[in-house]
Amino acid sequence: MTSPDSAAPAPSIEFASVSFAYPDGTRALTDVELRIQPGESLAIVGQNGSGKSTLVRHINGLLRPATGRVLIDGRDIRQTHVARLAGLVGLAFQNPDRQLFAGSASAEVAFGPRNLGLRGSALEARVREALEDVGLGEETATNPYDLGYSRRKLLALASVLAMRTPILILDEPTTGQDARGVARVRGVVARAAGEGRTLIAISHDMRFVAESFRRVVVMRAGRVVLDGAPDAVFAETAWGALRAAYLEPPLPAVAGARLGLGATPTDGEFVAALEVATPPRTQNR
Amino acid sequence: MTPPSLAPTAAGFGLPDYVTRRPSGFYRSLNPATKLAVAALEVVAAFTISGWLGPALVLATLAATAAGSRTLRGLMVVGLAALPLVVSIMVVNLFLLPGASDPIAHVGPLAPTWSGLRFGLLTAARLLAFSSAVALAYLTTPVDDLLADMSRRGLGRRGVFVVGAAVQMVPRTIERVGEIMDAQRARGMDTEGRIWRRARGVVPLAAPVVFGALAEVEERTMALESRAFTAPGRQTLLRTPPDRTIDSVLRWLALAGVLAIVALRLTGRIG
Repeated sequence: MTSPDSAAPAPSIEFASVSFAYPDGTRALTDVELRIQPGESLAIVGQNGSGKSTLVRHINGLLRPATGRVLIDGRDIRQTHVARLAGLVGLAFQNPDRQLFAGSASAEVAFGPRNLGLRGSALEARVREALEDVGLGEETATNPYDLGYSRRKLLALASVLAMRTPILILDEPTTGQDARGVARVRGVVARAAGEGRTLIAISHDMRFVAESFRRVVVMRAGRVVLDGAPDAVFAETAWGALRAAYLEPPLPAVAGARLGLGATPTDGEFVAALEVATPPRTQNR
Repeated sequence: MTPPSLAPTAAGFGLPDYVTRRPSGFYRSLNPATKLAVAALEVVAAFTISGWLGPALVLATLAATAAGSRTLRGLMVVGLAALPLVVSIMVVNLFLLPGASDPIAHVGPLAPTWSGLRFGLLTAARLLAFSSAVALAYLTTPVDDLLADMSRRGLGRRGVFVVGAAVQMVPRTIERVGEIMDAQRARGMDTEGRIWRRARGVVPLAAPVVFGALAEVEERTMALESRAFTAPGRQTLLRTPPDRTIDSVLRWLALAGVLAIVALRLTGRIG
């Protein structure tokens, strides 16, 4: 669908009344209507089993809707092979150990872009750049299983980044990461958004969601129940719906509401609102 | 000191649901040991009663039990999984049964025989009866019930662990392979194209299965140790599956049935 060498413009994604049930009868999605504009950065949140992972696996064709349609740039992808969609949609899975297989970090990262047809020095450059993006630039020859879990997770992320797809999906990217790892992931997200790629992340880390994404979609029992900017989704008026989805708003949003500062989903917004509300103290000594 | 109370999630007991749940339906609610005894009787009957009567009787019983316990679909999947073995049995016996001299036709140097066809079908039916009998007991018994019952009957901790690991290995591996395949397909691995392209996916699929399984063994061992797996003394079981009078009766009947079939066979009354 796209050459891995080109920086293809991000396409739009549309879920048109999509429903899906697993073979055991578990109904995972019900009439989902969702439109994601090119270049949007969007977080999907919800309790375990709410349908988040099922939803994103429809975007790269791993799952096909039972009813409804998934459209990328207006085209129904029902008949498109996953291997073909992989050039358009990069999906970093939650568990790195369910994908790492190569004898070195660089070989692992090269797997995706090589499958997309990249070879030679262009491939080497892509691998090096992706490893550096996640802070593993010094580990090119290291066996993936000699890395700790959080670094294996970053390696799995690099292996998808190297494919340089116009749509990037991250499933729980901050889980198991320390502060430095979370900062790395934030950097990756910011860079991808800055490059105009469409970015979708599934996360239970509300602070990460509020700080890094411009749109938040809340799912509950296979349906989209809230959809908006972080200040709207985490505003006090939405807390009832959030709690019904077993979610807690981020701490700055709660503190801001308690202090009457309005919607302050991020640390920065909370501090700024606090500074406006509190007159600066004069030193009388 | 007052012990901490458990949340009252199951009516009347104050115990979590998974402790107090009862399987629904007659066959499902049987004790695991009873189901294994019945399966043993079915296997013995299928293999010992000569001719078609044994396997036909057992397969009919299994189909009725599976329909009653809503596992007919699962049993059919097991049957399909056994298909390659059934086909190979048929082919080998059809063409190579020693002493068979009643050819159906001559296909070049090969001559499939009626005796081979009959013997192959009978062997396949017995094999199907065997796999279905074991599968039905497995499909209707939660693994934790089976292990709890084995513990209660005195099987040592290591024995229970080995049985549990073996029983859970197949579904766990299937689940793991599915996830790994999804992850590699998402990175452009072709599983839908030409065969030589698909063959290149063997290592990316097999390596995480093996590495993951090894890592899991290590983690599981440490987790068991940290929960006093090898501590001396008798284990306290949180829950044991019910073992009613009907279970005892069925087990004795199964044992009597096995002995009767073997005795009748030895005395030549059933073939």
